[in-house]
Amino acid sequence: MKKRYVIIGLLAAALTSSGQRLDSAYKKQTLSKTDVQVLFSYYTQDNDHSAVTGGIGTENLQVYAPQISIDHQPDSFNTIHIDGGVDIISSASTDNIDFVVSSASKVDARSHINIGYNRLLHDKQNRLGGNVSYSIESDYTSRGGALTWSKTNADQTREISANVQVFFDDLRWGRFEGGKPIKLIYPSELRAQEWFDSYKRNSFNFSFGIYQTINRRMSLGIYPGVSYQSGELATPFHRVYFADDSKRVENLPGSRLKIPIGIQLNSFLGSRWILRSYYRFYWDDFGMLAHTFSIESPMKVIRVLTFTPFIRLYTQSKADYFKPYKLHDINQEFYTSDYDLSEFTSYKTGLGIRYAPFNTQHRVTFKEVELRYAYYKRSDGLQAHMITAYFSFSSQKKRK
Amino acid sequence: MNKTLLKYLALVIAALTTFSCESVKPYQRVYLNDLEMRPGQPGARSFEESVQVYREGASGGGSSKISGGCGCN
Repeated sequence: MKKRYVIIGLLAAALTSSGQRLDSAYKKQTLSKTDVQVLFSYYTQDNDHSAVTGGIGTENLQVYAPQISIDHQPDSFNTIHIDGGVDIISSASTDNIDFVVSSASKVDARSHINIGYNRLLHDKQNRLGGNVSYSIESDYTSRGGALTWSKTNADQTREISANVQVFFDDLRWGRFEGGKPIKLIYPSELRAQEWFDSYKRNSFNFSFGIYQTINRRMSLGIYPGVSYQSGELATPFHRVYFADDSKRVENLPGSRLKIPIGIQLNSFLGSRWILRSYYRFYWDDFGMLAHTFSIESPMKVIRVLTFTPFIRLYTQSKADYFKPYKLHDINQEFYTSDYDLSEFTSYKTGLGIRYAPFNTQHRVTFKEVELRYAYYKRSDGLQAHMITAYFSFSSQKKRK
Repeated sequence: MNKTLLKYLALVIAALTTFSCESVKPYQRVYLNDLEMRPGQPGARSFEESVQVYREGASGGGSSKISGGCGCN
């Protein structure tokens, strides 16, 4: 009799119990995510090689540059990007275009915006994207566009990417005064003559990237590129003084081909020390050859706090068309006294401090803050200081 | 361009691209996924990249900006 009760009891239990309720079936939820980055930067430089005054005169310059960048992912396939900012530029050399020094320096502003979209395709390996950009300052307007493609392999150890970017620039002044660009602005004493026919500058950039995971602590990136510029590549308000005491506006060839290739090797050494090393080779048909070496060494003092000392070394040969003040021959076709195109070596060194707390995901999460200071010195005497504060936030919510 | 330099460059690229690479499982990516291991010039570094494009003749090669913009001050 007891045996019968046990069997009936087990049968009843089996019939009434259930591992899963029918209405609790797994439902895939879509997460919507938004990342916001805010950057405040300050730059100051000084030297006495201004191109506006023909390779002599003050280069004193200050730039305040706030910028915001937002990436919104409504789902795991689509990303919408927007970034923008204003660079407030206080330049003593620009004030010397007309030699009427009305104040300590000429104040200008550069506003820029960039809007993009990219989509991860259904194979979850290919990503396609594009963006448009616009920037404006008193003597310059730039319209840009880009298309990007990247492919990640199945185990996510390699990514190949390609990027095509174009900029269409207009060098005329006047947008801030009357709303419409009027003309190229030459140094005040050289305005009797129209020096250039064209006010356009076009840039076509092709860049590629191969990112490879070497092992669980090391990754390598190789970034070759080709850039072609055409149009008016000289700056209309740059003076050039010749050996015979005559004076003209800077003149450069109508095209420039640039070929850079960068190699970046990042290694995680031990449990707290990272080494970011970078080398770039650069060649262009203005006759410039340049090498860049940089090493950054982030050290995790504690898990949420990272100190990053860094050093960057750079060397370039001069462009064929560069000569200092009053050393150009009047019979030369192209000439400039812009020391950015001279032969020099430079170094940059400084420290970054990053605080990135561990957070459980809230509606809005503070991700990281980074403060960075860099000192830059060029062998022609130019010295600069750069201070940057970077804040990153993230917001995540479930979509119905 | 200096041909010897180009040959050396090709050699370095060939050496780097023929690295023997380990297979890394998703759960082994803790170091690779660290914020400081991100490729390119992430975070606060991007502003310095823009300045260097203006103050030096060379640009590109993995930096965010290769050309475009004035930089005439």
